Amino acid sequence: MEISEWDLIQKCQKGDVTAYEELAAKYYRRVFMVVLGMLHHQEDAMEVAQETFYRAFKNINRFKGGSSFYTWLYRIAVNLAIDFQRRQKRGVMDFKENMDEVIVETERLGSDPYREVRDRELGERLLAAIDQLTPDHKAVIVMRAVEGLSYKEIGRTLGCSEGTVMSRLHYARKKLQEKLGSYL
Amino acid sequence: MKAKRKLPRSLFRAALLFSLWLALLPAPLGAAEKGQPGVQVKIGTILATNQADCSDSQLSKMKQQLEVIKYRCYHLVKEESQKASWLANAVFEIPGGRSLVVMPQEYRNNRISLKVRLLEGEKPIVDTTVRVPNRGNFLLGGPAHEGGVLILSISAATQ
Amino acid sequence: MTRDCEEIKSLLGAWLDGELGASEAAEVRLHLQGCASCLGEKARLEKLQSSLKSVLEAKASQLAFEPFWAGVRQRIAEERPWHARLIDWARAVLSPPRLAWAIPAVIIILLAGLSLEQFFPGWRWALNRSNLAAVESIDGHGFNVALLRESKTKTTVIWLFENHEGEEETSAEPVSGGPAF
Repeated sequence: MEISEWDLIQKCQKGDVTAYEELAAKYYRRVFMVVLGMLHHQEDAMEVAQETFYRAFKNINRFKGGSSFYTWLYRIAVNLAIDFQRRQKRGVMDFKENMDEVIVETERLGSDPYREVRDRELGERLLAAIDQLTPDHKAVIVMRAVEGLSYKEIGRTLGCSEGTVMSRLHYARKKLQEKLGSYL
Repeated sequence: MKAKRKLPRSLFRAALLFSLWLALLPAPLGAAEKGQPGVQVKIGTILATNQADCSDSQLSKMKQQLEVIKYRCYHLVKEESQKASWLANAVFEIPGGRSLVVMPQEYRNNRISLKVRLLEGEKPIVDTTVRVPNRGNFLLGGPAHEGGVLILSISAATQ
Repeated sequence: MTRDCEEIKSLLGAWLDGELGASEAAEVRLHLQGCASCLGEKARLEKLQSSLKSVLEAKASQLAFEPFWAGVRQRIAEERPWHARLIDWARAVLSPPRLAWAIPAVIIILLAGLSLEQFFPGWRWALNRSNLAAVESIDGHGFNVALLRESKTKTTVIWLFENHEGEEETSAEPVSGGPAF
C-alpha cells in the first residue's frame, strides 16, 4: 500500500472527512463500475456506491491494512450490491428500453458509426443480459471482468470456494453467450 | 452491510437440519413436565392456642411461617402424606370429624394447581383452588378445635 | 488422451483467466492451434469480457465526482436514525449462516433451562423469592375468609372465621371468631 494512502486512511480514522474525500475521488469510478455491472440501473448503482463509501467511512477504524484499501472497499460494494438486489428484486429491464437509449446516443458517434453503434448495442445488451443472472453470478462475472480478480480473491470476497467461482463463471458466461448470440 | 457468508452451502444445510431436529426435541420434554406421574401431598395439622408459650420441635421448619399468625402456642397434632394421582381425590382425616379432600389438577410453570375442599361431616366449609409452588405449601386455618384453632399446612411435590 | 471441442470450450474461460494448471493450459493451447471452432469461442469470450469492461468504463467516465461526493458527504453528515441502524445491525447479524447457528443455540439455551428443572427441581422457585402460593378461587360456604400473603416468609394463609352478624348467641370459642393476623 502506498504510504500516502495509508496516511490518508489514518487521518480518516481520526474523523478527517477531507482526507476521505481524496480517497473517494481516487476510487469512486471503480466502485461505481462494479456496482453498475451488478445492478444495471444507474440510479441504484449511484445509491449503492455512495452507501459503500459512507459505510466504509463509518467503519474505517476496522480497516487494519491487511489488504489494500480498494480490496476492502469493493468487498463492501459487492456485498451491498448483492444485498440490494435481494431486497429490491427489480423486474428485468427489457431490450426495447435499451434500444431507445442506444438510438438517442447515436447523436454522439465518432468516425466508424456502424462499429460504434454495434459495440454500444452489444454493451447495453450485455448489461441487460447480466441483469437477468442471479446476484451471485453477476458478482463473479463483474469482478472478473472489471477488476480482473483471481478466482481465489473472488472466492474470498463472496465467501465461496475457487471451484464454485469457476463453475459460476462458466455458467454465467454460457448464459450471456446464449443471450447475446450474434452480437458476439 | 450484509455479513460475508463464510460457511459452505453443505454446512449451512446441515446446520438448518440440525436446527429443525432440535426444534422438534423440546416437545417430548414439555410433555414430560405435564406427565409427572403424581403428586405427594402432605398435610400437617397444627393446633394453635393462646395458652402459655410452648414450642414443638417438629414445627421448627415452619416457625417463621407460623409467626405470621399471632398465636402463642403451636402443636403438631398429626401429619399425613399421600400420593395423589392427577385429577383424583386424596382424602385426609382432620380432627373434629372433618376431612380434607385434595385434588391435584395441573402442573405448569413449576406450580401445582390443587383443588382443596374442607368438609365437616358432609357440610362443606371451604372450597378453594390454589397454585402451590412445587415443594411449597400454604396454610388453611380457622376451624375451632379444643380451645384453639386448627391450622392445616398443605404442601405438594411432584414425583 | 485428447479432449474434444466441448471439453476444451468448457475450459476456455478458466484458461483465459489464467486459472488452469500447467498441463491443462498446454492442452488447451495446443488444441486451439488447430481448431477454428474453439478459436471462435475464445474470441467470443474475450469480446464478452472486454465489452463488459468497456461499457462499464464508458458509463463510469460520465460520472462526475462532485455530485457523487455530495451524496456521500450528506450521508456522513446526517447521523442515521436509531431504527435504521438497528435494521442494518439486524441484517448483518441475522444473515442466513449466522441465523442457522443462532436457532440451535437459542433452542439449546431453552432446553438447558428446561433441563435445570429436571436436575435441580424448584430452582426457579428458589430464584424467585416472591414465588408464593397463589389462590385462584375461594368459596367459604357462609364462613368469612381472609387471605394473607407474605413474601418474606413465603407464606400464604387462608383464614376462615364464622360470620357472627345477626347471630344472637355468643361463641363459646372466642379464638375462632376473627382473623388471627
